[in-house]
Amino acid sequence: MRAGLVYLIIAFGLLAASFLKEKQRSQEAIKATIKILYTILPVLIFVFVLMGLIQAYVSRETIAAILGKETGILGILYAELVGSIALFLPPAVFPFGGYLHDNGAAYGPIAGFVFTAILIGVTTLPLEFKLLGKRFTTARNILAFIIAFFLSLFMGFVLG
Amino acid sequence: MKKLLKNDAFQFLSLSVGITFLIYAVEAAKERIVVRTVYLTFFDVLVIIVAVSTFIGLFQVWVKPATIVKWLGKGSGVRGFILVCTFPIFMGGSLFTIFPLLKTLREKGARAGALASFITAWGGKAPLLPLETQFLGWPFALLRLSLVVFFAFIMGVLMDRVGDDPA
Repeated sequence: MRAGLVYLIIAFGLLAASFLKEKQRSQEAIKATIKILYTILPVLIFVFVLMGLIQAYVSRETIAAILGKETGILGILYAELVGSIALFLPPAVFPFGGYLHDNGAAYGPIAGFVFTAILIGVTTLPLEFKLLGKRFTTARNILAFIIAFFLSLFMGFVLG
Repeated sequence: MKKLLKNDAFQFLSLSVGITFLIYAVEAAKERIVVRTVYLTFFDVLVIIVAVSTFIGLFQVWVKPATIVKWLGKGSGVRGFILVCTFPIFMGGSLFTIFPLLKTLREKGARAGALASFITAWGGKAPLLPLETQFLGWPFALLRLSLVVFFAFIMGVLMDRVGDDPA
């Protein structure tokens, strides 16, 4: 909570500075902020309900068996698959990752989940195809999956 | 009414409430656990979310897409490559919001590698650091953030080999 307050003070400080510099643009910033909150908060609540569901129905042992340290490579691959498919806004990724960690998931799989949840989107594929092309999109998503795997392996190794 | 049903916020909230009620109907004791988790986590992050959204909102109005395109448009050469592997880390938004920007960059002649590096670096998500450190700790966040730059670099090199689609 205390860390949160520090961030809030910094954010409002920046906002005040912005107001001193240009009033109209700062009002736009506030509008943008409200719009972001409006998009993020409902999704976050949904993710928290999802976390609650896991808390209620899935035991720590089960999570550890799928994503724990002993699962090694397989755990990372599972987590990456979930991250690729899941419809997650970036701000929801970290609370969910932290939640999994508190419940027995190792850092490697969590890193895999975080990387792919942000960078790979089965739901965004059609748009990426359309705007950036089939070849580009296919190669980028496959490469992201593979590189994320090795980086997650490394993170799991370093963080233990 | 139709508009309301199509509204994302409404969909997520009603789905959340629906699931909670469903669990309550099936097994009341479990519903307590769910509500407690939602309640505790929500107030845990609310302050951080407001701060983070303010950061992103300020960034959006002070650094317009046109400015970004101008900076990165010069983007060939080592300086451009370094910029494209680092600068997007500080941007907010979801994949949906950055694809249009990438399309513009592409039309301005950015190579496939530069675009891929941009997307990957954007995945660094520095504006969300307050959230990440709260839930996963500083060592995880800092290690991930530094690896993202490396990730973006490799992606750029590899995707330049793959090449671009004929636009």
